[in-house]
Amino acid sequence: MGKGYTGEIIQRHADGRREGEYLSVKVDFVLLPDPTFALLLSGLGELGGKIWNKEKVLVTVDHFAPPSTIERANLAKAVINFAMNEKLPHCFIYQGICHQLLVEGPWVRPGMIVLGADSHTTTAGALGCLATGMGSTDILYTLITGKTWLRSPETVQIDLKAALPSYIMGKDIILDLLGRFGEGGFLYQAIEFYDIDGVIPMDDRLAICNMVVEGGAKNGLFRPDEVTREYLKERDDHLGQWENPFEEELRYTKRIEVDLSSLHPRVALPHTPAQVVDVGEIEGEEIQQIFIGSCTGGRLRDLEQTASLLRKRKISPRIRLLITPASQKIYQEAIKRGYIQVLLEAGGVVLNPSCGPCGGIDKGILGAGEGCLSTSNRNFQGRMGDPSSRIYLASPLTAAASAMAGRIIDPREVM
Amino acid sequence: MALPEKISGRIWRLGDHVNTDVLHPSSYFSLNEMRVKEGLLEGMERLRADGKIDFLNEGLVIVAGENFGCGSSRETSVRAFRTCGVKGVVAVSFARIFFRSLVNLGIPPFECREIHHWAKDGDLIHISLQDGSIELGNTRRFPFSPMDPHIKEILEAGGLIPYLRREKDGI
Repeated sequence: MGKGYTGEIIQRHADGRREGEYLSVKVDFVLLPDPTFALLLSGLGELGGKIWNKEKVLVTVDHFAPPSTIERANLAKAVINFAMNEKLPHCFIYQGICHQLLVEGPWVRPGMIVLGADSHTTTAGALGCLATGMGSTDILYTLITGKTWLRSPETVQIDLKAALPSYIMGKDIILDLLGRFGEGGFLYQAIEFYDIDGVIPMDDRLAICNMVVEGGAKNGLFRPDEVTREYLKERDDHLGQWENPFEEELRYTKRIEVDLSSLHPRVALPHTPAQVVDVGEIEGEEIQQIFIGSCTGGRLRDLEQTASLLRKRKISPRIRLLITPASQKIYQEAIKRGYIQVLLEAGGVVLNPSCGPCGGIDKGILGAGEGCLSTSNRNFQGRMGDPSSRIYLASPLTAAASAMAGRIIDPREVM
Repeated sequence: MALPEKISGRIWRLGDHVNTDVLHPSSYFSLNEMRVKEGLLEGMERLRADGKIDFLNEGLVIVAGENFGCGSSRETSVRAFRTCGVKGVVAVSFARIFFRSLVNLGIPPFECREIHHWAKDGDLIHISLQDGSIELGNTRRFPFSPMDPHIKEILEAGGLIPYLRREKDGI
């Protein structure tokens, strides 16, 4: 079998219909960011425009936030108008990146099926649910029916063991796995992480699940544990229904062990997230821009770690440091805790929470031949600008250290 | 039936792990079909040193390597395929969102490992659904993996939206 908890979740949501290997399943929550929502609006209209359950849909204007061209302004406008006219209860305009807003609100819980019209919807799996991305047409089907068709993927168990060194972040853990198993190394599989020693903070788990899609995985989830419990309790002011689904014995196709204490800070080289080396191997590489943000690397712990390195220090005059908190809530908390002041004093530029530079949407576009070290998730050719530019992916700690040095360095050199 | 028994066209060959950002740069994200098509032409330019595909009008069949269409879920790349008249896509393996989007928009995907090694840009290709095989340049023949009945149902309906209409009428 080897279908893990993901297979269990699919079984529990099945409505009894089956075609070939596909099961029709009920969907618990849907995430709709602006560009991919705009793509399905006309289709939704043609089908009568009736959403199966408005309470179960989160709409975000986060890609074109605020819009930088007339065309994008019109796309965002169409989305906002629809949400207003239909009185969609959860519509957030410029409040942050969809994948962060999805886990900040009181909607997603362990055991759910969550779909999003964005490939990084896998992020929410950190809360112990089956969360995956789909194209606009698939999401349109779900908006009308409340269902989708899923296959049960083969499931891989990944045990994360031992203490987490102070210089290692979730980003290093997922880059290490992508480097070991390759860009299609988890193609169509589900990855289920067991944090054996309970040492990985939620923000790092979100970064890990965010990038499982770069290995081709359908979804990635963390076994719900005390960290999950604490997160939900704090988020919702109560624990709510808590059922630990991992109590029964689950089977897996494959089991992988990662000794966290043996990891070194990792960097993905252009132009794939799976070409990964220890930071030492690329040490000294000249870059012009550093981006700390996105749905992978713009959370509170990312800003906290960045600020801890940059406190009372300056970035290199050769470097443009861009920082994008993943949501307005994170932004405000980072102001309260003094992180933003530290980043500004160090010479950083803080942009409003949005997708922005990561997808080459706006701000921080790279010129010909320029290099950028980014805490985001994709370094595909031309993703952040000119096709001849280079993107390196690393943790916020490696990014902050490199900002000071003006070239890629190991964060341990300045910690 | 929107899924033809035979598909013929000329090959545009791509390598392994071709992602949607390269195939269709995000700056071409648009609701305007012509703009979306320009995005694919730009992607073709980036993926091929020797200029743009000149046999678009003859009907194009893409033959790609592993993990085809990885990356963003933006459906614009597949929409551009449809606008450009791409008749089918053969790959060693597909990234899952991209596979679903092809099916949802009525472009049949075929999994076949062997053909990728032999295929060249511009080669004639014939896909027979009945025989379950792909003929390359009238000489070589390769089997493709059997298509799942659910996928076939959607393609026969002409895509996921026509499938949904049929489903709604049926229930």
